[in-house]
Amino acid sequence: MTLLNYRISIACALLCTQLFCQTARAEETTRSIVAVNYPLHFFARTIGGKEVKAEFPLPPEIDPAYWKPEPREVAIFQRADLVLLNGAGYAGWTAYAALPRRKLVDTSAGFRDRYLSVADQVTHSHGPAGDHSHNTTAFTTWLDLSLAAEQAAAVKQALTRTDPENGQSYARRSDKLEKQLLDLDQRMQSAGKVLSGGPVIFSHPVYQYLERAYAIAGTSLHWEPHKEPDAGQWALLQEIATTSGSRLMIWESDPLTRTRDRLHALGIQVVVFDPMANQPKEGDFLSGMERNVRSLEEAAESLQSQGLVNTRE
Amino acid sequence: MIDSLYIAWRYLLFNPARSLTLVACITLVAFLPLSLQLLLDEAERSLRSRSVDTPLLAGAKGSALDLVMNSLYFDDQLPTTVSMGLVERLEQDGLAIPVPLYVRFKTRGFPIVGTTLDYFDFRGLTIGQGRLPALLGECILGSEVATQLGLKAGDHLVSTPENLFDLAGIYPLRMKVVGVLKPSHSEDDRAVFSDLKTTWVIQGLGHGHQDLARTDDPSVILDKSDSNVTANAKLLQYTEINSSNLNAFHFHGSPKAYPLSAVIAYPEDKRSETILRGRYVDSDKYQILVPSEVIDGLLENIFRIKQVLDTVVLIVGLATLLALVLVFTLSIRLRQREMETIFKLGCSRLTMVRLLAAEIAIVVLVSVALGGLLAGATTRFSDVLIRTLIA
Repeated sequence: MTLLNYRISIACALLCTQLFCQTARAEETTRSIVAVNYPLHFFARTIGGKEVKAEFPLPPEIDPAYWKPEPREVAIFQRADLVLLNGAGYAGWTAYAALPRRKLVDTSAGFRDRYLSVADQVTHSHGPAGDHSHNTTAFTTWLDLSLAAEQAAAVKQALTRTDPENGQSYARRSDKLEKQLLDLDQRMQSAGKVLSGGPVIFSHPVYQYLERAYAIAGTSLHWEPHKEPDAGQWALLQEIATTSGSRLMIWESDPLTRTRDRLHALGIQVVVFDPMANQPKEGDFLSGMERNVRSLEEAAESLQSQGLVNTRE
Repeated sequence: MIDSLYIAWRYLLFNPARSLTLVACITLVAFLPLSLQLLLDEAERSLRSRSVDTPLLAGAKGSALDLVMNSLYFDDQLPTTVSMGLVERLEQDGLAIPVPLYVRFKTRGFPIVGTTLDYFDFRGLTIGQGRLPALLGECILGSEVATQLGLKAGDHLVSTPENLFDLAGIYPLRMKVVGVLKPSHSEDDRAVFSDLKTTWVIQGLGHGHQDLARTDDPSVILDKSDSNVTANAKLLQYTEINSSNLNAFHFHGSPKAYPLSAVIAYPEDKRSETILRGRYVDSDKYQILVPSEVIDGLLENIFRIKQVLDTVVLIVGLATLLALVLVFTLSIRLRQREMETIFKLGCSRLTMVRLLAAEIAIVVLVSVALGGLLAGATTRFSDVLIRTLIA
């Protein structure tokens, strides 16, 4: 090997070492942000960009609201620089986990006065503490997309507070995200105006904020998409449909084909509105919500054309 | 000179009781003021370093010393409690990072410190074995606690009931030890740490029991309606938190009202500290104090006592010196015949003086050496000694 080759090799080695050191340093200084649900993770990732390391350590198949983490999974949250909480009693595990308080960001703290209560909770009493019940607040706040925009703004504020140097970048991305969320909110408002004419049926009691924000009144059941409803459940559905005149049922995910067919036979249209609480298999929060909104718009149009709902729009 | 030293040495060995008494007297007179000074220096260092590391302490109006001693040295005296509302208020102020503390309960003689994970960051405490508490019912041990109790990660510790005769009271909680802290040579070595919520469970503010709405055991139900279920005393409450019953644990009332013994506040800067202190100057409920100022006041009193002790030691020292002079004078009288024999052997008066001087020198040297050893031992164990005395 000639002297020139040696020099080139040494220069390359030095360059690689420097690059490695820079990358390691950048990784050390990058803020890690962990969220308790996918919408918040998406907000952190979108607003934080390359400046943050957004982590979402939850398994894909579970509902983050009812996740029971193992200590090693809690440790990921303990090590993070920021922990994004949804608030409103969401992710019950955070109530019994040891998390660093100064790193917690309750993204819905700004609208605590607008939380919704869940009715029909059975209270219990024993000892001197008196009556009490558990988890009485509805928590899928982001289904009101204007509240989702507020939560995104809370994420931006937390990022800017901990990393003011990149504040402008965060603000720019946050503004863009807010606009996208509010655009979807506007479309939901329009669809809501149509659907407000006829009550709908919800497969699960998770749509409280959507009901309030878009005036889509309805009755919530406890139907699982992957399970066939039993006779009692069908009877209850028919009773609701008859008394309220509901012609639309909103599901968290696609129901079984047999269930769908039977609903069609009853004259009930099926719409999937995925709450997007966990990471989707494809796409992201915005594309998922866009799909949700489009489904509702199409359902609204369909019902409107049949004269089954409001015709103000 | 060597001959004189040898004869003096043999003489001292021939009269062991007298020699030992002389050595003990001189050692004690030399060691007492020295050890006192060493212990006070260590006490001052220990008290000051802990207080300097704690910029501000917020708590209920009342004894500032009780508040500082309970929060910094985990003293038994519980100050008037405050609520979590104070932490939220400090967070809203945005001038300092609040770290809540609840130092009330004990386990096998050691304090249980309920706090948040921020405490470990600010105190620079790191895990030596195992991990930090992650879930309700878990605790970690200070290094001395682990050594003294012979516990390690995976073992269990039961909280000590506050009142053994309160049969209807709260059950002790069996906590899982998940880690041991590295030695920090501070009070933290002698404490058991858990998450705040775990201490509230110990107090009975949070508890776990079978689901009353779903229970099929009619013997635990006193009354049941569509909206309320009332249970009787047979209702099983869990005394240990594990993965199978963790979700059954819940807290009553507003978390804002849960008790704390104090809140350590870490201000952003000097300006924030001044503003924050100013905001609570006229508060009827709360006080924010600078622990180092309280400790300085305490040390001033200790030093005043030390001055009195110094005077006492000086007087005792003088008395001992006079007693020693008396002992040697009397010993010369007692050794009259021995001295006459020495003179008859042809030795001068100076030889006798040399012999006596050698005896005194040996006694003093041995005493100084012993005093040095004792002082060394005091220095070695002064931090443990002081922490035991403070606790």
